[in-house]
Amino acid sequence: MNQLLVAPLLVALVGSATAADEPARFSLSGFGTLGVVRSDKDDFHFRSSTTQSSSSPGQNFDATTDSVLGVQGTARLHDQLDATVQAVTRQTVGYDYSPRISWAYLRYRATPELTVRAGRTTTPFFMFSDSLNLNYITPWVRPPVEVYSLNPFAALDGIDLLYRIPVGTLDLEIQALYGDSHVSIPHGSASLKSAKGLKLALAGSGLTLQAGYARTDLEVHWGDYFYNYLTTVMPPNVSQNMAGNEGHAQFFSAGMQWEKDNWLAIAEYAKRKVDRYINTSHAWYITTGYRFGALTPFVTYAKQVQEAPANDATLPPALAPLMDIFNASRNNAQKTIALGLRWDVARNIAIKAQGERIYLGPDSRGIFASPSNPTDYNKPTNPVHVLSLSVDFVF
Amino acid sequence: MLRPLLHLLTTLALLAPLAATAEPVIVTSLKSGPIELTREQAEKLYLGRSTTLADGTPVKLVDLPAGSTRDELYLRLTNKNPAQIVAYRSRQVFTGRAIPPLEAENVSEARQWLTDTPHLIGYLDRADVTSGMRILLRLP
Repeated sequence: MNQLLVAPLLVALVGSATAADEPARFSLSGFGTLGVVRSDKDDFHFRSSTTQSSSSPGQNFDATTDSVLGVQGTARLHDQLDATVQAVTRQTVGYDYSPRISWAYLRYRATPELTVRAGRTTTPFFMFSDSLNLNYITPWVRPPVEVYSLNPFAALDGIDLLYRIPVGTLDLEIQALYGDSHVSIPHGSASLKSAKGLKLALAGSGLTLQAGYARTDLEVHWGDYFYNYLTTVMPPNVSQNMAGNEGHAQFFSAGMQWEKDNWLAIAEYAKRKVDRYINTSHAWYITTGYRFGALTPFVTYAKQVQEAPANDATLPPALAPLMDIFNASRNNAQKTIALGLRWDVARNIAIKAQGERIYLGPDSRGIFASPSNPTDYNKPTNPVHVLSLSVDFVF
Repeated sequence: MLRPLLHLLTTLALLAPLAATAEPVIVTSLKSGPIELTREQAEKLYLGRSTTLADGTPVKLVDLPAGSTRDELYLRLTNKNPAQIVAYRSRQVFTGRAIPPLEAENVSEARQWLTDTPHLIGYLDRADVTSGMRILLRLP
């Protein structure tokens, strides 16, 4: 029914959009990535997000990990009012590819400086939060997972204010937001309630600096069999701190992007501080690259460090090793050295190749999950190597 | 009838050594009145960092279709190559930060718009500027 309604509407809007003083009232654009990735170990299946499942052998090239397709439409309702909807499909929990609505907001430009948006926008936790699936704009195959796995919440249902003012030759953008978010994770789900955040970005011609802070109520529910088993053996006061609706989290981030002549550098730091259910960790990365015409080789170093485990209860010797496994399975600590190449093969199309050496832990399997055996999380491992190839496009 | 002729002329023009590099100039309709545009403000407008002139007058922008004049304009104004501009623009569009300029289908449509519409700003190769418009900014 929606399609029946939308088609004539599109024709009507597009058909009326030819005069210059009456700019297009409806615009449609899209972006995507076709990517394959594999590791050098069958029991280490690479994931680009903690919301992904991992069940195929790690050495098989997997085209579902990084591939993504997004379509976005904006309708101008009035000079100061427009509506934007973006739908994205990519692999999430249980190999589900159903398109999700990643943006759906009404925007009101109150003044040239002040914009108000209401509906579904994105959380502001990272430098690339508002363009998470838009790989075309970065040198990487994907944003570094050390930093970007710290927060799987992408969509924010609520309201935000954007205020932009010039500061000398630079532009300062202040974003304040309030809202809720929900995400499905393998064998569970999590929600942010009443998230409040502030983000500052200072942009000049070659340099962007930004910093953000957010605090939120946190709900986390696990449903994997190991967690279910633990709830039957742990003392009640311990298991009630493993999942529930009483959590609080804070998030800090700071980042910079710099371009000068043919050099580029991108760096970001982020920290999540959580009082229960999941661990407190910080992470950072730095990327530097150089453009030789259409080719941009780059190198990245990235690291995630756990500061406090998901559950630090003092337990009797019979139970402590079980909790260690639980904590390790909720810890994504790892470090990566990556070498990559971006090739701007045509207008709107980039081909990328990236090789990574990932050192896991301590007390972690990094971004890799173990689908079958909880004790895998406690095994020491050698570095895992990951190879990724992708094509990014915008239209 | 006219189109093949135009294509032939364009091709010949492109082959001529003197016209090998486009020289883009930023123009507006004579109907826009006595507006002024600095190079810094032009860069801000085309990078989506502003939607007004320095005095606060709202303006709208025109882009030519992908090609050498457009590439040369962005290179001279923003020091970004075509791939960098696509990346920059994509981020702005997909994050709702800026609305991209109105894209003309060809030079003659851009010329028509830029002659008829006040407070519309665009660029053309210097050789394509006609009498109904005024050059706001040269980019040597």
